[in-house]
Amino acid sequence: MVGAVLAAVALAALGVQAARGTAVVSGQSAPSVERQARLDDAFYACLDTQARSLVAPGRTVALGAGDLADVVTLLKAVGSWVTVADPPASADVTLTLRSGPAAPGTCLGTVVVGRVKEPSGRVTVRVGTGAAVPGQGPPPAPPL
Amino acid sequence: MSTPLAAACALAVLAAAGLVPVAAAVGRHWVAVPLAPLGGAVVAAGAATATVALGGPFLAWFAGLAVVAAACALWWRRSGHRPGRTRPDGRTAAARWRVTGAVGAVAVAAACALSLRGLSTPTVGFDARALWIMRAGWFLHDHHQLLVDLRLRQLVLTQSAYPPLVSAATAVAWGVTGVHTARLGVVVVAVLNACALAAAALAVVECGRRGAARLRPGRPPWVPAVAGLLAAVLVVLVAAGVTTPFLTNGYADPLWSLAAVGALSWGLQVPTGSPTGAATALLVLVAGLSKDEGVVIAAALVVLVAVRSVAALPTGDRRRRARLPLGVAAGELAVIGAWPVLMRIVGARGVASSFSSPSGFASRARATVDGMAPYLHVLVLAVPLAVVGGLLLAGTRRRAGLGHDGWAWAALAAGLVAVGGALVTGTGAIGPWILSTVHRVTEFPVLAAWWIVAAWGVVGAAAAVERTGRRGAVPVPVPPDAAGHAPTVPPPTDGRAPGDVVGARP
Repeated sequence: MVGAVLAAVALAALGVQAARGTAVVSGQSAPSVERQARLDDAFYACLDTQARSLVAPGRTVALGAGDLADVVTLLKAVGSWVTVADPPASADVTLTLRSGPAAPGTCLGTVVVGRVKEPSGRVTVRVGTGAAVPGQGPPPAPPL
Repeated sequence: MSTPLAAACALAVLAAAGLVPVAAAVGRHWVAVPLAPLGGAVVAAGAATATVALGGPFLAWFAGLAVVAAACALWWRRSGHRPGRTRPDGRTAAARWRVTGAVGAVAVAAACALSLRGLSTPTVGFDARALWIMRAGWFLHDHHQLLVDLRLRQLVLTQSAYPPLVSAATAVAWGVTGVHTARLGVVVVAVLNACALAAAALAVVECGRRGAARLRPGRPPWVPAVAGLLAAVLVVLVAAGVTTPFLTNGYADPLWSLAAVGALSWGLQVPTGSPTGAATALLVLVAGLSKDEGVVIAAALVVLVAVRSVAALPTGDRRRRARLPLGVAAGELAVIGAWPVLMRIVGARGVASSFSSPSGFASRARATVDGMAPYLHVLVLAVPLAVVGGLLLAGTRRRAGLGHDGWAWAALAAGLVAVGGALVTGTGAIGPWILSTVHRVTEFPVLAAWWIVAAWGVVGAAAAVERTGRRGAVPVPVPPDAAGHAPTVPPPTDGRAPGDVVGARP
């Protein structure tokens, strides 16, 4: 009798919690969650494309020029493929972000700016190209 | 190449890398299916460690270590070591054993697939993009650049020194497919999460069918086996709810938590016999190579499993036979500890520990308890259930061969102490720290508590039918364990041999 009651309580509790878990997982497919995920993905893909337009293969890069938020955002966008310079002052390209109002050619109002050391030694400042996401950013933060 | 195709290729490569060692250690058992890709991920983590330590291309290390692991496994099998056979004798018993195993595996697989439907939304978590998936690209850089990535202070990312398994598995996916996207990394990690979840759930199936076979070997009752099967499906759905959204957004927390729960279940709850030792060892490695919290919990699990194994050995022969479980434990600790030691040697960012002032411990402890409490409400159910079960059904639990509940609670407590200790003694502002992490860092204790509830559900079902099984029972042999863990069911105190059933005929 005790065993049957214990089994019933345990399995019933598991059943109730399983139903709640199923509902939580279903919530991940809600249109608002999906819209937010796609916007987040598009934002970082846009920054990635703009950065690639500024960094030639083999060139070393410094990220953010000391701005913590820029460093984290750029790491998320391009950290997996850039050749980070050590020390940062020796970088061929210094990437930063410039945020402003929504405009054509921006990623939710943000553009990647490259301070590029040309082979001649001259330094030029260029803005990334090749991708855009309309709207005003930043994108909604995903769960921490 | 599309993401689903690339993910399928990557997982096939990971499974191929893990298949031979897992098959050699686990044998023909359903749990070998989810363990094979996890074994490949462990090989990838080993390749990442070797790449950082010695240089050389990451993928070459991965292929080389996979070949070495397969060769060692084949040599081990050829030298006469084989996973023990746990299937009970007798036509009826064997048939029921096979049916419950197959149905359990299919049901758990279906529940896991259902739990991954969050992947239909292309979410990439904050830490996944900033660390877990991003770091995969570092392992594909040359050695000099990899060390720069890990060391350079200006990159500010202090979590760079976290254990490598998730990033290494993603690096394998990127390397073999040429598709370098965060989405591919997220999908591969999500499937690895599902593999760990399936392995942990199959332990519940195993509790049910092994318990049934031990209670009435000739004709195992259906009830405990069906209860185990039902509980296994339910814990999968429960775990998916507990770990969402991190189950499908690239975080490492579900992987180490689910692997640790699997190790707890296989190593401390499931009746002994193949493949408990092998499954436990592999899942411990997955937990310990995935995240810092996982390192601590995995170490605690290694110690608990070793102590339980040694304690169960015959007193007269304990010193000689203890070498094997202690050797396995030492090996596991060495593998888990290699990465943190290496990070200190190379001077990676974030390896230095700092502690808050002891005067603030009390307020931080209060904030930690307040922050964690809403996530631990399962304890309100699990504690009384365990107390009632321990007082009234301990005999049935012992006769069914399940490990003493205290072992699982010790592992759960170790998890709470490790995470709580880090929060109390750490230097981060406690409020935001708890707010941003408590959901993830409590996954292991919450899941462990649900697995404890599931085990008591199986024991309760066994108790409900045990009375009719006391007549005509015969002893069940306890086979040796594949990974060297000795049988760990405490010997009965009434003169019976381990594995005997009450009422057994001589």
